[in-house]
Amino acid sequence: MSDAIAIDALTKIYGERAVVDAISLSVPSSSVFGFLGPNGSGKTTTIKMLCGLVHPSAGRATVNGYDVVTQSDLVRRSIGYMAQGFALYGDLTVDENLEFYTRAYGLGARGRERKDAVIETVGIGRYRHYLGAQLSGGWQRRLALAAALIHDPPLVFLDEPTAGIDPVARRDLWDLLFRLTAQGKTFFVTTHYMDEAERCSSLAYIYEGRLLAKGSPEEIRELQEVTPRGSVRYTIATDEVMDVFRRVRSIEGIRDATIFGRDIHVVVDASMTALALAGALRLDPSRVSPVEPSLEDAFVMLTRSRLQDERAS
Amino acid sequence: MNALLDFRGAGAVIYKELRQIMRSPFTLALAIGVPMVQMLLLGYAINTTVEHVPAAVFREDRGPAAQAFIDGLTGSRTFDVVEYVGDRNALRSAIVSGRVRVAFDIPPNFTADVVAGRNPAIGSLIDGSDSAIAQVAYGSAIALGGIPLRNFTTGAIPQFEVRPIVMFNPSMRSANFFVPGLIGLVMQNITIMLTALAIVGERERGTLDQLLVTPIGTAGLMFGKLIPYVLVAGVQFCAVLLVMRFIFQVPIAGNLALLTAVSLAFLLVSLGLGLFISTVAQTQIQAQLMAIFILLPSVLVSGAVFERSLMPEPMQLFGYVIPLTYYIEILRGIIVRGAGIAELWRSMVAMLAYGVITFVLASIRFVRSTR
Repeated sequence: MSDAIAIDALTKIYGERAVVDAISLSVPSSSVFGFLGPNGSGKTTTIKMLCGLVHPSAGRATVNGYDVVTQSDLVRRSIGYMAQGFALYGDLTVDENLEFYTRAYGLGARGRERKDAVIETVGIGRYRHYLGAQLSGGWQRRLALAAALIHDPPLVFLDEPTAGIDPVARRDLWDLLFRLTAQGKTFFVTTHYMDEAERCSSLAYIYEGRLLAKGSPEEIRELQEVTPRGSVRYTIATDEVMDVFRRVRSIEGIRDATIFGRDIHVVVDASMTALALAGALRLDPSRVSPVEPSLEDAFVMLTRSRLQDERAS
Repeated sequence: MNALLDFRGAGAVIYKELRQIMRSPFTLALAIGVPMVQMLLLGYAINTTVEHVPAAVFREDRGPAAQAFIDGLTGSRTFDVVEYVGDRNALRSAIVSGRVRVAFDIPPNFTADVVAGRNPAIGSLIDGSDSAIAQVAYGSAIALGGIPLRNFTTGAIPQFEVRPIVMFNPSMRSANFFVPGLIGLVMQNITIMLTALAIVGERERGTLDQLLVTPIGTAGLMFGKLIPYVLVAGVQFCAVLLVMRFIFQVPIAGNLALLTAVSLAFLLVSLGLGLFISTVAQTQIQAQLMAIFILLPSVLVSGAVFERSLMPEPMQLFGYVIPLTYYIEILRGIIVRGAGIAELWRSMVAMLAYGVITFVLASIRFVRSTR
């Protein structure tokens, strides 16, 4: 299986700051690749470089085998791009929006057929004559996806495709993406939702422009930094989260504590048993149990260990 | 720089833009209608004191009576003699080209006729383009005949008269002045505003990035955006010409084809300015404020509303900085005075130079701003 994207030490510097700092990655074909990181970590800039919208300051990248700098024209023809938010026209109908993109890609005689095909794919047929602005958030994203697919590109970039849409529409959109990967499409997706990240075939996590981890969700959860040698992870179920959280942090041997809703995930020295932890917190022992790291645990730990490294240096 | 020549996708953008324009015809109607109403109000409401009207003199008599008349003329607040010409045709062309508003023709033997009491007449031509000026100039010119000639004494009181003829707009209707000015304003204001808003709108809504990943070329995007507004401006131009001709009853004295060609050339200026604003402004509100910043001084000093020759000197000079000034001079020249290229070439060259420079600079900025 060839790689849809190959990135080698890609860097973008604005002023003094490296917004994207020597990232290297490869994205296999026919997969959903998750690109994660906090806001402002350089995700959108990376996507823009891969789409040929922003010139890299250093490093190189190929997309569908084309160099993003020297062959940006071929890159653009071979990719779809779905920008953040609703980046189509609210004052044009679904049909007119797609007609515009059909013409923008110069599809000519094939245009009609392609338009019908993408309308069928995303299932937006019954809204064909609605204005873009009249659609719900979920349908707007589907329309944007249809536009991104109009020229039948093998690879589509989706920048936070599910931000701000309801959970059902979110799930539907992801199901649609998986159906399309089965037909050979590759998706490069940014997201903040961990359940979406879990569904990706592989992931990359960037923080302040630097790549902190890459691999499948399992591989990332099993990284050394996520559960350091000589430590163990427990989950504490409690109704007084803030109170327990305050107490947890003053316990000897505690390495990390993070709140997940009504649970607190803690990383402690391996010598501490669940029973000992419950005792130290004056909680019922049934409240404390060992837990596998979630992806969110993994990203929190990766970010913290990066921050510690920075402070140390 | 080959991005400047990449026209791909222009057709797609034109398609989209026209659909979007047609989607809100009310906005468009408002955009075209509001300035018209404004101008009608302005046109009827404004009254200015008429002083320092530029005048030309053709002096066929060297005698002291002629000199005394000229002294009286230069001493008056109403007229400023800015030109002395050598023949009658030059007198006429000084008016047609718009350099002066009034011309005096002192006949041969004027002094002799005055001395002999033959009551000679000084001919006067008045440019009727601006009815307010024409009316005052008409009255003042006739009154010059009743003024005693200072420094010139014969036995009897010298007798002569001034016979003014109002050219181009003999009935001195105000519409003939302000309607051509209205055309200039309408052609400028709407075009600047609409182009700036259309492009900034894409930036603001985030749709520009989505466009830039398509194979649409930069020039394709730019011209795709501009051409629909050229069409809008064309419709507008026809509409104001029809209103002018059939509602205000202002005939077009000059060449209609020339008028159209010059107006198309002027679009370079307003599209360029609109494009320029779009490269600076980040939001539609900013774009609107910047447009007003450009439009307001041009309304005031271009001569669209207020006659330029009546303005204080610094204002008149400031007018030359504004491209609309040249266009309005050309409009009045062609429509009211029937002027052609021979009389108006200076303004035409200035306007075209402005247009080309504005447009090219704006295009370069636009190309940079989309990279």
